[in-house]
Amino acid sequence: MNELGEFALMMALATALYGIAGYVMAIRQNRVDLYFSADRTPLIVWGCVMVSSVALWKAFITDDFSLQYVWAYSNRDLDIFYKISSFWGGQKGSLLFWTLLLTTYMMVVHVQNRKRDLRVVPIAMVVMLVITLFFLFLLNFSTKPFEVIPVPPEDGRGLNPLLQNYWMVIHPPTLYLGYVGFTVPFAFAVAALLTRNLDDGWIRMTRKWTLISWFFLCMGNLFGAQWAYVELGWGGYWAWDPVENAAFMPLMVATAYLHSVMIQEKKDMMKVWNMALILLTYVMTIFGTFITRSGLIQSVHTFDEATLGYFFLAFLGVIVLFCVGLILKRLPLLKSKNELDSFLSRESSFLFNNLVLLGIAFATFWGTIFPIISEAVRGVKITVGPPFYNQVNVPIGLVLLALIGIGPIIAWRRATWSNLKKNFAKPVLAGVVGGAVLFPMVPLTDKAEILSYVAFVLCIFVMATILIEFWKGAAARQSLHQESVPASYSNLVWKNKRRYGGYIVHIGVVFIFAGIAGSQAYSVDIEKHLKIGEKITLGGYDLTLEKVIWIKANETKERLIAQLAVEKDGVRIWTGKPEKEFYKGQNQPVSEVDLRSTLKEDLYLILADYRGEQFDPVTNTMATISDGEATIKAHVMPMVAWIWMGGWTIALGTVVAAWPDRAEARRRLERLKRMEGVFAPAQQE
Amino acid sequence: MQNKKIKFAIGSFLIVGAIGFLITSSISSTSKFYFTVDELVASNQVSPGTGLKVKGNVVQGSIARNPEDYLDVAFSIEFKNAKLPVRYNGVTPDMFKDGNEVVVEGTMDRQGVFHANTLMTSCPSKYEAEKEAGKSHPGNIPMDGGPQPTQPAPDFSSKTTI
Repeated sequence: MNELGEFALMMALATALYGIAGYVMAIRQNRVDLYFSADRTPLIVWGCVMVSSVALWKAFITDDFSLQYVWAYSNRDLDIFYKISSFWGGQKGSLLFWTLLLTTYMMVVHVQNRKRDLRVVPIAMVVMLVITLFFLFLLNFSTKPFEVIPVPPEDGRGLNPLLQNYWMVIHPPTLYLGYVGFTVPFAFAVAALLTRNLDDGWIRMTRKWTLISWFFLCMGNLFGAQWAYVELGWGGYWAWDPVENAAFMPLMVATAYLHSVMIQEKKDMMKVWNMALILLTYVMTIFGTFITRSGLIQSVHTFDEATLGYFFLAFLGVIVLFCVGLILKRLPLLKSKNELDSFLSRESSFLFNNLVLLGIAFATFWGTIFPIISEAVRGVKITVGPPFYNQVNVPIGLVLLALIGIGPIIAWRRATWSNLKKNFAKPVLAGVVGGAVLFPMVPLTDKAEILSYVAFVLCIFVMATILIEFWKGAAARQSLHQESVPASYSNLVWKNKRRYGGYIVHIGVVFIFAGIAGSQAYSVDIEKHLKIGEKITLGGYDLTLEKVIWIKANETKERLIAQLAVEKDGVRIWTGKPEKEFYKGQNQPVSEVDLRSTLKEDLYLILADYRGEQFDPVTNTMATISDGEATIKAHVMPMVAWIWMGGWTIALGTVVAAWPDRAEARRRLERLKRMEGVFAPAQQE
Repeated sequence: MQNKKIKFAIGSFLIVGAIGFLITSSISSTSKFYFTVDELVASNQVSPGTGLKVKGNVVQGSIARNPEDYLDVAFSIEFKNAKLPVRYNGVTPDMFKDGNEVVVEGTMDRQGVFHANTLMTSCPSKYEAEKEAGKSHPGNIPMDGGPQPTQPAPDFSSKTTI
C-alpha cells in the first residue's frame, strides 16, 4: 500500500506535466483531440493524490511504523481520532494534505466550469496544474511522506500532547481550506490576464470561491485564536506570532479584494487594483507558508526544516516576478473608463477601506520581517513584539471600524450635505448617546482604556447603521408588500443575500472589535503561590485553594489538579480545576486551563507551578495532599466571549451571502449563452 | 477634473503617510535588541535601561528560588562561554530547567544583572533539528531503525508570554 502511495504521487506528477503541455499545445495549435486528452488530467491528478492520501491514512490507522512519518507522529496508544488527524501533524503529511485540497479544488472547478467560458477556463486549469506540480515536486523529491525506516520500530514516538485535542482536527484543515482556496481566483485572474479577457467575467466566475476561501481563512484565524486561548494556557488569544501574522496578512488583503471587486462589478473601475489585490492575496498565502515551513523567523509553530524553505522562497520569487510582469504588460488593457466622482462617496469610502486594510497588512508584514531586515542592513538583530503591532494596528483598526459604518450608507457617486444628514443623523446620535451612557461606567485612566472607549462608541455607531438599514428595508417591504414583521425581515435578507449577508458579517466584525477592546484594556491578572486554604482576590472574585490532587488517568496520562473555590460577594459560584497533565514519554507537562466564560467576562485559571518534590508520582491512587501547594495564575478578561460570538455571526453571514441565488444564476447563464462558440471544442460535445 | 485627481492623491497620500508614520515611530519606540549572551557581553552599545531580548542556556545548578517568595527566581544563562545573571519574578514555564534554551526580555541594571519581565523557553529538540537540517537531509533521524521513544515531537515550543 505504501509503494502504491508513492507510485501514485509519481503518476500525479507525470500526469500534471502532460496536462500542462497538452493544454498549452492544444490552445496554441487549436487541436481538439489534444484538448480533450489534456482535459482529463485534472481528474486523474486528483485521483492519484487521493490514492496516495488514502495510503498514508491507512498507514496511520494500521500502525505501520515502517513509515518514518507515521513513526514520528503516532503510536499504538493514540486515539483513532488523532491517528486520522496526525496526517497533517507534521511537515510531510501537511504538504500532502495541502496537495489533496488543492487538487480537490481543481477537480471541482474543472467539473463545474467544463462547459463554461472556454477562453479562460483551460488556461486557469494550466495555472492550477503548474501550482500542483510544484507541490508534487516537493512530495516526490524533497519531502517524501512515504520515506521508510529499513527496520521498523515497535512503536511510534506519538503525537505531541499539545496537539491532542479536537482543535487539532478543526483548525489546520480550516486554515488550509482558506489558504489553498485562493488558488482558484488567482488562477482565473492569471488566466484572464494571459488571454486578455479582462472584463469582470473572471471575478463573477470566482466570486463564490473567493468568498468561501475568505470564510475559511477567517474561521481558521479565529479557531487558532480559540485554540491558543483554551489550550495553550498563556492567558491570551493572539500574540502577533509570525505564523499568526502569516495567516492574518492574506485575510486582510483578501478582505480588501472582496470589497473592491464590488466597485468593478458595479462601476467598472479599479481593474488594476483588483488584479493586484488577488495576486497579492495569493502571494501572501505562499509567503505565509514560507514563513511557517522555513523556520526563518522564530515562532511557536515552526516546522523544523530549512531546505524546504528555499523551495518556497524560489516559488514565491517566481510568482511575484511573473505577476508583476504580467500586470505591467497588460496595464493598457486594464484602464478603466470611469473615474471617482467625489471625495465623499461610497466609491471613495471603498478606496479608503482598501488602503486601511492594506495598511494593516503592511504594518504586520513589516514587523514580521523587520528582524531579518535589520540584521541584513545594520548587522544587529532588532525585534518587535506585540506592543509594536498593537500600537500600529489599533489606530488603523479604529479607522476601519468607522468605515464599516460609513461605507454601506454613504451615497454612491457624490454625497451631498442633505443626504449625509439624512443617512447619518440617527447612527451618529446613537453613538453619541451610547458614548455618554458609557462614559461614567468605564475607567479612562490610560491610553488603552481611552482607545477601548473610542472602539465601543464606534461599535455602537456601526451597529446603529446596520440595524437601521435592516429596519428601513423591512419597513419598506411591510408597506409595499403588506408583509408581516417577521416575514418582511426574512424576505429582505433572502431576496438580497449578498447585501444583507454582508451586513450580518459586519455585525460579527463589530462583536469581534468589541471583544478585543474589552479584553485588551480591562483585563486584570495575578499570580501567586498558594498553600491549601489561602486566598487570592481578583476582579471581585475570591479564589481559595481547596486541594491539590494527583490522579492517574490512564496508562499514558497522569493529572495534577488544583481545586479552587470561586466566590463572589461571599457566595460560591463555581469550582475551578486547572491542571497539569503528564504524558508518558514526554518530558514536559501540559497545562490545562479552566475557565468560566460569560458574556460579561471570563475567569481564566492556570495551574502555573507546583512543588514537584512534595508529590509522589508513584502513587497511582487518587490522593488529596493536605500540605499541597500550587502557584495559580488567574486572569479576569472582559468580553472575550464576544470574539467567538462574532465568529459565529460571520459564519452565518457568509452562508447567507454565498447561498445559491437563482436570479443570479439565470443572469450568468444568459451571459454565457451570448458567448457561445468561442472555442471549437464547445460545439463538439 | 485635474483638481479632483489632486484631491484624491492628497487624501490617499495622507492615509499612506499616516500609516507610514505610525509604523516608523512605533518601530523605534517598541523595538528591542536581540542578542545571544556572548553578543551582549561583547557589545558596548547597550546602556542600562535599554529594552533587550537575550537568548542563552540556563547554567547547570544556577536556578535559585527565594524561600520567602516562590515567584522570585535568580539564575544565570550562558552562550559560548559568556554568562549573564538574571532576576525574574513570575511563573516559570514547564521547560525552564538546567541546560535548556531560554529567551528573556528586560533590561540590564548598573551592576550587570539582567532584570527579565518575560521568560520564554523553547523545545530543545527543535533547535537540534534545525541545526541538522542545514547539514543533511532533514527528517532522517531513525535511518538505523532504532526507536527513540523519549524524544518529543518537535512542532511546538512552550510559551508563556502574551
